[in-house]
Amino acid sequence: MIATLNNHMPLREIVPAAQGRARVSSIGARSFLLEAPGEFDLAAQRRIWALSQTVRGWPDIAEIVPGMTNLLAIFAEAPEDPDTVVARLLEAWDNARSIDLAGKTIEIPVHYGGEHAVDLPALCDLAQLSDREIVRIHHEATYRVFALGSAPGFGYLHGLDPRIYMPRKTVPSLKMAKGCVTIGGMQTGVAMLTGPNGWNSIGYAELQMFDPASPTPAMMAPGDTVRFVPARIEL
Amino acid sequence: MIEILETGPFNTVQDLGRPGYRDIGVSASGAMDPFAVRIGNILVGNDEVAAGIEVQTFPFSLRFDRRTVFAVTGADGDPMLDALKLLPWCAYTAEAGQVLELKHPPTLARAYVSVGGGLDVPSVMGSRSTSLRGSFGGNAGRPLVKGDRLALGNSADFAPVPANGLAVIEPAVALRDVFPDFVDGTLPVRALPGGEHALFPDDGDAFWSQTWKISSRSDRTGYRLSGEPIKPTTSIEMRSHGIVPGVIQVPPGGEPIVQMSDANTAGGYPKIAGVIECDLWRLGQARIGSRIRFVRSTHAEARAIEQAVARYVEDVRTTSEMIKRALKAMA
Amino acid sequence: MSAIDFSDPTTIALLTDALTAAGVSGLEISWPGGQLRIVVATGEEARINVSSTAQPVSAAQPVVVKAPMAGHFCSGNSSRSVADRLPRSVSAADTLGFLRVGPILLPLCAGRAGILTRQLAEPDTLVGFGDPLFEIEPQS
Repeated sequence: MIATLNNHMPLREIVPAAQGRARVSSIGARSFLLEAPGEFDLAAQRRIWALSQTVRGWPDIAEIVPGMTNLLAIFAEAPEDPDTVVARLLEAWDNARSIDLAGKTIEIPVHYGGEHAVDLPALCDLAQLSDREIVRIHHEATYRVFALGSAPGFGYLHGLDPRIYMPRKTVPSLKMAKGCVTIGGMQTGVAMLTGPNGWNSIGYAELQMFDPASPTPAMMAPGDTVRFVPARIEL
Repeated sequence: MIEILETGPFNTVQDLGRPGYRDIGVSASGAMDPFAVRIGNILVGNDEVAAGIEVQTFPFSLRFDRRTVFAVTGADGDPMLDALKLLPWCAYTAEAGQVLELKHPPTLARAYVSVGGGLDVPSVMGSRSTSLRGSFGGNAGRPLVKGDRLALGNSADFAPVPANGLAVIEPAVALRDVFPDFVDGTLPVRALPGGEHALFPDDGDAFWSQTWKISSRSDRTGYRLSGEPIKPTTSIEMRSHGIVPGVIQVPPGGEPIVQMSDANTAGGYPKIAGVIECDLWRLGQARIGSRIRFVRSTHAEARAIEQAVARYVEDVRTTSEMIKRALKAMA
Repeated sequence: MSAIDFSDPTTIALLTDALTAAGVSGLEISWPGGQLRIVVATGEEARINVSSTAQPVSAAQPVVVKAPMAGHFCSGNSSRSVADRLPRSVSAADTLGFLRVGPILLPLCAGRAGILTRQLAEPDTLVGFGDPLFEIEPQS
């Protein structure tokens, strides 16, 4: 069995995606990944959002998957000539103007500390901050949903204060509960499934953020603003 | 209704999957051998996307509680209807009370049971496939267990299946010019170099030239391959990006992972290659412990194979309909 | 078989479809009441000719398995070849061979228990509707 890690793909903030201009590679014959050059920041992501809107409208596209300063474009059929597709994507990227998505604001009540905050002591050690300061820094920040992925409804949130940065674990927690509020590298998020998880838990949120039966199954969408609101602090 | 009489773990309701929701983190799921599902559905007179049962742990048996058209496709081996040995890749009509039994197939991995009208489980996000990880879709979001009863949809088929059955020349035989056979017991799987291929020395030679074994830690999410580990010249980590089934990632240990039907929607490991979509069904039929080798392909070749598959499927559809119509008129 | 009206245009159209799909250029069917001849010509309408013969036929002792429609006769999968192992006993449900039309295989079943004595068509040849394919001596 493959133990799939929930949100196990962290922001790999150390490595710039591509130097200079955007890079396009393929996965199989139908999927093409465009990676933006430069920093992992809101400016690059805004251009990805713009690119997503353009590519989504192409008649030969089956599906698009925006990632972290990148976009996977899945075509309905394998193209005869991949170079044409690469050129189209690069041209669309060059023409993509930064847009800001008019997202909604989601407030997520969090029970900081307590039985689910298994990694809070380690983060205190790493950050050289008290648990109370870490909780304050985490809930005072405003986050943007850059993209969704990895688990149903899981949002990659940008905007973590560098003071509470914590790399993901080399040995993941085997059974982290759905709802754990976690930090993975320079990102934060809420675990959507119970299971193996390499991020670091500092609290717990009961809010249901994914409903497969709903016409809009995921509560979060790219561009949304997220705020964590302390419902309880148990330190 | 059909009732599950006997099943191993991990047999699930599957259709052609739930594409279109990767951007909210939902895996596409769907049959590991979608080709077998398409052909099975056509034989029983369904739309190609109807849901059936993916059987990957045997033996498996079910009882029909009313007259039902069905077909078993995919893995090799002869299914049994009561005491009668049936042909695989053949649609038959079962009478109420009859029991269909699937024994362990000799060489392949997964058999598909298609039924006239399809399995009438609720459609979730446009698909009846079971998402094991998300615990939704299919039969209550979980594998089938003994005693499960599944409703059947209404068959819209215009003509009955011939009394002696309606079979098809299976894809591996009909398209043997398109899908090369095993070479010394090793399945050739065609792939295209992936985004980080250039990071692997000697043009990825260690990857392309060795024979990989599908490890026991493999399932519908992905196949872990055992072999001589391959390492990139520099260790890099990618920003999280969308992935699809077929992507071949190389985690730090150096043993590649091929994502399959329940593929995660996002990844960040270096991608050395990607299996072409129209070869994924063959990988889906490769068993744990079997050997595979990757063969470098091109987009043009992948397109030509896709077109050959589309022609074959269309030929099966039109010819089977024509035959059923003709036999009905002459009956 | 007697229920089929070969002078019915619908039936003829279906047969013509079947022939075209099977890549068969023509078909001649004889039955107690007459004869039907269809010639599929590329680029033009099929020529169809129905004539009446009305000759009485005497029932033969062996049972003949006939082609349910036009197609290529296959004496079974290579692993299940029967032609070289005759005579042999068969049960009613046994698949003796197939009729192939494009990618589709119509299983040819014995239909009754007995001794399969003869295969009446050459493997991989085109056969027409009603052509005799196997002969079975019924056993009671």
